[in-house]
Amino acid sequence: MFVPWTIKYKPKTLAEVVGNQIAKDKILKWVHEWDRKPPKKRALFIYGSPGIGKTVVAEVLANDLGMELVQSNASNYRTAEAVQKFAGTASHYSTLFGKKRLILFDELDGITGTADRGGLRVITDIVKTTGSPIILTANNVYEPRFSTLREHCQLVEFKKLARTDIEAYLKKICSQEGVEAEADALRLVAERASGDLRSAVNDLQALAQGKKQLAYDDVSWLSTRDRKEAIFKVLSDIFYAGNVWDARRAVDAADIDPDMLLEWIYENVPHQVKDPKELAATMEMLASADMYRGRIRATQNWTLMRYFIDFMTAGVAISWNHRTSGWVPFRFPTRIMTMSHSKAQREMMTVIGLKIGKRCHISSNQAAKDVVPYLRIIFQTNETMKNGLSRWFDFDEDMVNYLSTKK
Amino acid sequence: MWTEKYRPHSLIDIVDQEQIVNRLKSFVKAQNVPHCIFAGPPGTGKTTAALCLARDLYGPSYRDYVMELNASDERGINVVRETVKTFARTKFIGEVSFKVLILDEADNMTGDAQQALRRTMERYTETARFILIANYSGKIIEPIQSRCAPFRFTYLPREHAVNWIKRITDNEGLTIKDDGLEAILEISGGDLRRVTNILQTAASIGQPIDEETVYSVVGRANPADVQEMLLTALSGDFVEARKKLRDMLLKYGLAGTDIIGQIHSETFRLSIPDKWKVKLAEVIGEADFRLLQGSNEEIQLSALLAKLVEAGAEIKRG
Repeated sequence: MFVPWTIKYKPKTLAEVVGNQIAKDKILKWVHEWDRKPPKKRALFIYGSPGIGKTVVAEVLANDLGMELVQSNASNYRTAEAVQKFAGTASHYSTLFGKKRLILFDELDGITGTADRGGLRVITDIVKTTGSPIILTANNVYEPRFSTLREHCQLVEFKKLARTDIEAYLKKICSQEGVEAEADALRLVAERASGDLRSAVNDLQALAQGKKQLAYDDVSWLSTRDRKEAIFKVLSDIFYAGNVWDARRAVDAADIDPDMLLEWIYENVPHQVKDPKELAATMEMLASADMYRGRIRATQNWTLMRYFIDFMTAGVAISWNHRTSGWVPFRFPTRIMTMSHSKAQREMMTVIGLKIGKRCHISSNQAAKDVVPYLRIIFQTNETMKNGLSRWFDFDEDMVNYLSTKK
Repeated sequence: MWTEKYRPHSLIDIVDQEQIVNRLKSFVKAQNVPHCIFAGPPGTGKTTAALCLARDLYGPSYRDYVMELNASDERGINVVRETVKTFARTKFIGEVSFKVLILDEADNMTGDAQQALRRTMERYTETARFILIANYSGKIIEPIQSRCAPFRFTYLPREHAVNWIKRITDNEGLTIKDDGLEAILEISGGDLRRVTNILQTAASIGQPIDEETVYSVVGRANPADVQEMLLTALSGDFVEARKKLRDMLLKYGLAGTDIIGQIHSETFRLSIPDKWKVKLAEVIGEADFRLLQGSNEEIQLSALLAKLVEAGAEIKRG
């Protein structure tokens, strides 16, 4: 089961939230004003760039103070009616057991004029009279449509996080995940995120999950991100391209080895494309790309390269209907890791296969398929037969161990 | 390994494939052998027949006169141009005036290599005779086929397989229950190599050998289960199916073409509408062809799995 590290390592208390100390103090002061009576400004409008902890602050605040968090975000409808239904009563009555409520209107930038008609007006009305504290968040508080709402809110700015703060956070995650990371590697990931902790954690997960070590070389390609556009950006440009031309151009803009790019796309297809029919169509595009790659290799005819790239970019882009609901993080191609991890194993299998083949008059492939599975069982259950067969096949110690270990 | 221990050493010992064996015996008698193609399913005695023929022809030191090559391991054109040619052209003087080259799994030779072989066979007929072994003679190019005497091997009749098992169990002092014997016969479908491997592995676990032992051996021997992978894909879990595929390729070292062969036969056994079976056959065939052209095994095969995911979803919808 894939658990995003951004969820796994989400702060649980206000103290754990990285950076923005002044803003946090302001929020605490405001929320404690509610202990006596509702303050003049009954809502707090937290604004700032993505990935710096705006939503998290509201969550941990509710948690710290034992309040019930009632929240609505961009995935909910926020028409006048819907907002009224969601927050109208919640703002005036406490819960069944007298627990206080904290109301969170998250991602207000996501309110649209047409689909969420009247939503902002109702939110403003509720803010004026609410009996429970309300927190609003948005990236840009100075949008004209927030002007009325803004007047009734206390504004709190969240600033981008310092590189050193991000770095320290990444370090903590690594130690909990058992990843030994080089300081340079973490610094680069942190630097690259330019203040966005969430994207730094996502990057780290893509790079380091399942690994024991993270070296600078593993992440060094990130450094090209700003100059030449990063792989994540390229992937996003391909998967979410509006037309074939954009998808095709994403590759030209990037300085990435096409073979490597295919690996990235191949890894990420099933995580992005969920509809079965579209999945089949997208995979078929990749298979076609791969077929052209095979032809290039066989004929050394490099003009075929353009078809290889067409299929893996434009082909992928048109094969599915990229709905924007829910952003799925891109992942590091695991196949490459698996291949290098299992390389020794495969080599061992070939050597054993050849040995068996010679004695049993079959090919090494056939030996791997028809004989090795049985030998494994014999080697794991019957010591006498194991010894006899090892001598007869002339296996060395490594081969015997390979066949005797369960996997 | 019992497959080798009980492999017949002389044509006289071969109990089955009577017509073929008789013809081969006549070659020995005449001390002359044409170029041959031995075609037939696995485990039916093709390699054994070739080795027996050689031994009967040359006696105990037959190895000096015989070269055995496996085309799967040495399939390229260079092997034909160098190894094969060098072996074929050197003359030697003896009772039998030619050498024998056994080319196993010849259907896995590249087209180029087969073309090169054709000239070599013609040119050095005096000094060397070729026995080509293949599952399907159709995969061998026409010009070579027309230069060879064809021998068609078929699956062993049941009673021969039973005798074979009895012979081994008697000799090894094993007890096998009737249901165990039946299970082996059913699973191996007339492939004697498979019969023997299952029998030996079952014997390594314990006695008496019964149905349960046999099925547990077969279950454990196929951890990378193609059928399971296909069912996983049909159920809609592409990521997990792809992982299973990757394990087969990387952990268990199976060849993509072998996996595709199994996928092909398993697909027809799946409980899905016939329409889809045929549709999938087309996709499988295309993938198979692409693999032969040098495409990437995992990418081609997982595109196939994605097609199964689609099939699964459509079937569910009805």
